Amino acid sequence: MTADALDTLIHVPARLQIMATLATLPDGDQLSFKRLQDMIELTPGNLITHLRKLEDAGYLTTSKTGSGPASRTSVALTHDGRQALETYATTLRGLLNGV
Amino acid sequence: MTRQIGRSSGGPEERRMEPSEAARLLAQTQSYARRSLDFTAPWVSLVAAVVALASFGIVWLNVRTQHPFTGPSPVSLVCFYALIALRIATVIYAYARARAGVSGNSVKVEHNEAAAMGAALLVCYLLLIAIATGAHHSTGFYWSLYLNGTLIALATIWAGRSAIHKNWQQIALVVPVALIAALGAIAGPRGMWLVNGVGLCALLLANAAIGTTRRRSGTRTDTVHTGA
Repeated sequence: MTADALDTLIHVPARLQIMATLATLPDGDQLSFKRLQDMIELTPGNLITHLRKLEDAGYLTTSKTGSGPASRTSVALTHDGRQALETYATTLRGLLNGV
Repeated sequence: MTRQIGRSSGGPEERRMEPSEAARLLAQTQSYARRSLDFTAPWVSLVAAVVALASFGIVWLNVRTQHPFTGPSPVSLVCFYALIALRIATVIYAYARARAGVSGNSVKVEHNEAAAMGAALLVCYLLLIAIATGAHHSTGFYWSLYLNGTLIALATIWAGRSAIHKNWQQIALVVPVALIAALGAIAGPRGMWLVNGVGLCALLLANAAIGTTRRRSGTRTDTVHTGA
């Protein structure tokens, strides 16, 4: 098995951090955009770009509540996203163990 | 869902990592996220340990030479409740800080559980008042019932809640609370303040030490978990 077996969408530092952070939340929980940004220390523009890619792949969902300055965007990992991270971690373990 | 595997899209944010680097980043990110989102941080236990020792200790210093036992003085009770209020404030602060930006099912469940515990505490007090006014007992009996009875009731409710969530670590923390309170009841109206203060302080210090050790080992390890 080579590093090519890893999901390239996740195998990028920023997106791996996003996925790993969201995976620590229980199923059905969401994290606000602001808190996620604080936790992984990305600029808003950068974070939006990575979130869009993950959302397009069906790995996460974003939802917006409220309007104007009081609006709040929340992000949550989907079942597919959780599964993809699980597969990614299993592949990574296999690579590190020389399987 | 099909995905192109093994191809980089390019760009500085798209740089590929070595598997070992990815494993380290994954483990570190999850360890940091768990720490950030966890409101039962070791420092909260540490504050609780100091509060337990100080609050019960102040009352014990006040009542230890009372013969016969007449109950804690108003000043010692003010100090006792002020320290308990400090403990509650630190928990609320730690919770608000850790759970900022988090929404969903688990938050709703936590809020409902906090309301249920508040209601249980109120019911405990009402029951204790009913028992205390139902018949004439000594002052020592009232205070033992008030202190040890409340602690045992709340610890039992929290143990039940932890069993439902299969949170064995929490059970390991709250069952000794009930045992300490039971020992306090045996120690009598003066000794119970000392037994509860020292017992709870030791228990909470042990909890803080275990929490710190777990966090350190979680940071050091390079094992890959997904949290799924």
